[in-house]
Amino acid sequence: MSGNSDSFRSDVKRSWHSSPPRALTLDRYMLGKGGKRKFDEHEDGLEGKVVSPTDGPSKVSYTLQRQTIFNISLMKLYNHRPLTEPSLQKTVLINNMLRRIQEELKQEGSLRPVFVTASQPTDPLGDNFREAQPAFSHLASQPLLPTDLVSTTPLEACLTPASLLEDDTFCTSQTVQHDGPTKLPPPALQPVKDSFSSALDEIEELCPAPTSAEAVAVAAETAADDSKDHPSESSVQKPEGVPESRPAEPKLMDSLPGNFEITTSTGFLTDLTLDDILFADIDTSMYDFDPCTSATGAASKMATDELLKTLAPYSSQPVTPNQPFKMDLTELDHIMEVLVGS
Amino acid sequence: MFLKFSLRSVFYGAGGGNDIQWCFSQVKGAVDDDVAEGAVLSGKLPEILLVSVPPSLPPPFLPLWVLIQMKIHKRISALRKMKCFPCQFSNTIKSAQLNTSALMSVSFFDQADIISTVEFNHSGELLATGDKGGRVVIFQQEQENKTQSHSRGEYNVYSTFQSHEPEFDYLKSLEIEEKINKIRWLPQKNAAQFLLSTNDKTIKLWKISERDKRPEGYNLKEEDGRYRDPTTVTTLRVPVFRPMDLMVEASPRRIFANAHTYHINSISINSDYETYLSADDLRINLWHLEITDRSFNIVDIKPANMEELTEVITAAEFHPNSCNTFVYSSSKGTIRLCDMRASALCDRHSKLFEEPEDPSNRSFFSEIISSISDVKFSHSGRYMMTRDYLSVKIWDLNMENRPVETYQVHEYLRSKLCSLYENDCIFDKFECCWNGSDSIVMTGSYNNFFRMFDRNTKRDITLEASRENNKPRTVLKPRKVCASGKRKKDEISVDSLDFNKKILHTAWHPKENIIAVATTNNLYIFQDKMN
Repeated sequence: MSGNSDSFRSDVKRSWHSSPPRALTLDRYMLGKGGKRKFDEHEDGLEGKVVSPTDGPSKVSYTLQRQTIFNISLMKLYNHRPLTEPSLQKTVLINNMLRRIQEELKQEGSLRPVFVTASQPTDPLGDNFREAQPAFSHLASQPLLPTDLVSTTPLEACLTPASLLEDDTFCTSQTVQHDGPTKLPPPALQPVKDSFSSALDEIEELCPAPTSAEAVAVAAETAADDSKDHPSESSVQKPEGVPESRPAEPKLMDSLPGNFEITTSTGFLTDLTLDDILFADIDTSMYDFDPCTSATGAASKMATDELLKTLAPYSSQPVTPNQPFKMDLTELDHIMEVLVGS
Repeated sequence: MFLKFSLRSVFYGAGGGNDIQWCFSQVKGAVDDDVAEGAVLSGKLPEILLVSVPPSLPPPFLPLWVLIQMKIHKRISALRKMKCFPCQFSNTIKSAQLNTSALMSVSFFDQADIISTVEFNHSGELLATGDKGGRVVIFQQEQENKTQSHSRGEYNVYSTFQSHEPEFDYLKSLEIEEKINKIRWLPQKNAAQFLLSTNDKTIKLWKISERDKRPEGYNLKEEDGRYRDPTTVTTLRVPVFRPMDLMVEASPRRIFANAHTYHINSISINSDYETYLSADDLRINLWHLEITDRSFNIVDIKPANMEELTEVITAAEFHPNSCNTFVYSSSKGTIRLCDMRASALCDRHSKLFEEPEDPSNRSFFSEIISSISDVKFSHSGRYMMTRDYLSVKIWDLNMENRPVETYQVHEYLRSKLCSLYENDCIFDKFECCWNGSDSIVMTGSYNNFFRMFDRNTKRDITLEASRENNKPRTVLKPRKVCASGKRKKDEISVDSLDFNKKILHTAWHPKENIIAVATTNNLYIFQDKMN
């Protein structure tokens, strides 16, 4: 028995380092041009301007650029599984980049303690966000959190302040309130994994037995992830790493990686005990492939949706946001069959 | 000093890199197209498919999980190949989907052949290269013959040996690469040649000696080495040395191991020719060439709490004349000069060379592109040159607050930094080198371009190392990259640069105008046009 759990441990640890679909991330980071990657278009969209944090209209692109770089940096740190030791210089430089972005976010966060509502914000950042909103108004046509999605936790408690640092540029709905960046989420799960294991974690965590606060955080991730994925054809692509990066940000503020010590676990994971992963309650009803109508079933369909999206990154037919629940399990069966058979 | 410079400048005409006409001389290495389809990588395994088991999956679903994971990995690898990423996987299979406008080409060659270091010896007669497979190949210049007075001797393979083998660190469960990071020659003291070669963890002193005679006529041994039956020996004879075909042997004389926790990035031999330093990411050690079981730690920048680590050592070198002085560069763009006479542990620098940041050029990547990838003293010892991602800077050792000269290598990449960060090219470590008279500096760039800057005339030139100019004595045509707007004829636009073809390692003959330029897996030798 102990032998089994040991191998579980090592496998679990290694899974954090499994590689992401890199081609996928490229497309995601492009400003929605789709298709071939073109150097110059990317540049005009992302880097053409020399932006400073205080420029008004270019604040958005600066934020975007910063967020993109943040995500890329996280991906680099956590999705690289080399056979040899990773270069310490590279790790240090990426960490410094992350720290700097975090510092900026922290500073910005402290400028606006309350999230922008429909009423008048007085700080300059709020103005910019209002300007930004029309640009992104075609996004987030859905309310941020479909209420029938997460059965267990109330809306407000789910969203972390860090998540809203991001959401502010993307959503017009002001339905969420929070206490400001000082309220940090409970210890989060591994911040970035490859999209597949993240999807599967979402499946796990949607089991209706979340005793730990982790489920809350992940449920928030899932929920917010949906709102991001819904406008999948929007001009702003967010990689799968984004939801995980949000709970990661406050986590990052506390402890940037001790992954300088070359161990198989990193500083980000230090407060995650393996017991939480290994011995969490399992709801096996998910794995019954009978169509189910319970909330769990609905949730599982949602998770299935996520799963499918991550399994088929290049599917030409995007999963439309309005029918997340119409994908039934027979399609899942079909896809599994295709995967297994090919 | 000036006198010395002018004497040298007479040697190749009215001084200036642009008055030198560089000609193709030789190229060593496999031609890409010759590699057969389905060539197998040597050594390294492709990324092992991981079986990551979410522990909440009930056992019956385990095999299915494994299968799905494998499928996805396979899919990911296929996609990765399509986008032509430089990873080991993409080099194995000839992908039919090479119709994308890939930023990077996919070449098919053995990963072990990637050249990782190039170094001339002190006379310039020998040229050593190290590769990713742990091999050292030494080329020797032919003696110039009188008939062909208009070309210098060619470099031919002199010796090849396996310097380092891959190892496995069992404690950390990680491989130790056998890639040769640096080679440094010792000055010749007798008939044999000595060089230091290092991989990430171990430094080795190799003796390269020639043997052109062998003893013949042993009493107790046959010529093939079998022992004779003593009872058949009836006469005694004295063995004599007879000439034989030249054989070059390389033998490891010293192995300096277990002194570095982090990856060794530099070695540098002191001007006393008795000691040398080795630098890894956080520490610098001083060795004596004769003593392998201990070394002195002279610089240690490891913080007590590793989480506070923000800076690493990127390169180090001894001063060419002062045996007590050395410099080391950091990932934050600073160079520290230390005097070993000041204290045993040289954590406190004697001089700190740092240029204040230009506020107009600030970006997210300012720190990363300021990281110094190479530092080289001039032969005179008065100046040192540093290479960061976009520029080459020349510092006067007497002035710490800014460099005396700055040359932009590929400023057109400044607007592409985000993409270069994404594809990791921003972490490429370019090297730089001086010519024999310290008047020209050279460094590499992308698309197999390399650049030379003449310090006297302030002119620069961009050349390309490619097989297209294959004939010897073909003069290389200067290349130009057009940054934006209209592209003139013969110019290359930034978007069509191949970022997989990078020249990281270059070397200049210490006395003549012969340069060795290493592309990914080929070594090009160029020399100036002699009339």
